[in-house]
Amino acid sequence: MKNRLRELRTGKGWSQGDLADKLAVSRQTVNAIETEKYDPSLPLAFRMAKLFKMRVEELFDPDER
Amino acid sequence: MNTPNHPDEIIPGKSDYSIWKDWTVNGWLMVAVFLSVAADILFLHRVREWSPALRGVMALAPFLAIILWVRNFARWVQGMDELHRRITLAAVFFATCTTFFVVVLWHRLEVAGLFQSLVPGGALQSATHPAADPCTVAHVFWLMTLSYVVGHRIFNRRYQ
Repeated sequence: MKNRLRELRTGKGWSQGDLADKLAVSRQTVNAIETEKYDPSLPLAFRMAKLFKMRVEELFDPDER
Repeated sequence: MNTPNHPDEIIPGKSDYSIWKDWTVNGWLMVAVFLSVAADILFLHRVREWSPALRGVMALAPFLAIILWVRNFARWVQGMDELHRRITLAAVFFATCTTFFVVVLWHRLEVAGLFQSLVPGGALQSATHPAADPCTVAHVFWLMTLSYVVGHRIFNRRYQ
């Protein structure tokens, strides 16, 4: 699923490791989501949206793969 | 926030490998292997005069350790993040299927007399020979460990 995670993360000046720490996941998970190899669960998607203060559908685009 | 558990913590040779973590997760499995080998080699085949109840306890002791290991392993997997939990469960499923397949195949080849024809004289039928019984905890331990590592590599590659 297409997402804006990389764009938002670099906009904040965070590394993948920084974001992983904030979300309590591994760096590999952040990388897999950014490269669209893995779609996160609903709870993780909501944690990401909350972290970036936006709605889930603004972070993920379900119409494009 | 807490750091999630990582599969590499218990795979020797990986940069994140921790012998302490490995022991915490797999310690009871090591105990099960030790008890199984001790029961198979030292006691069950040589102390036939012991009471059936005592021999039964010694034969079942490894399985108590295995139950404790399963509990620790499940807790460790529960502490992973969702991607690693998915990879680990896929690797465990792969290891379980591979082990089941190999043990059943080995048994069928043994029943068919293949090992006896390959090594005449009954050496493979000796109780302490590794080929004599593929179902000991030690055999299953090595088979599952090897197939888990292979399975983990296969499923992990997809997300790198």
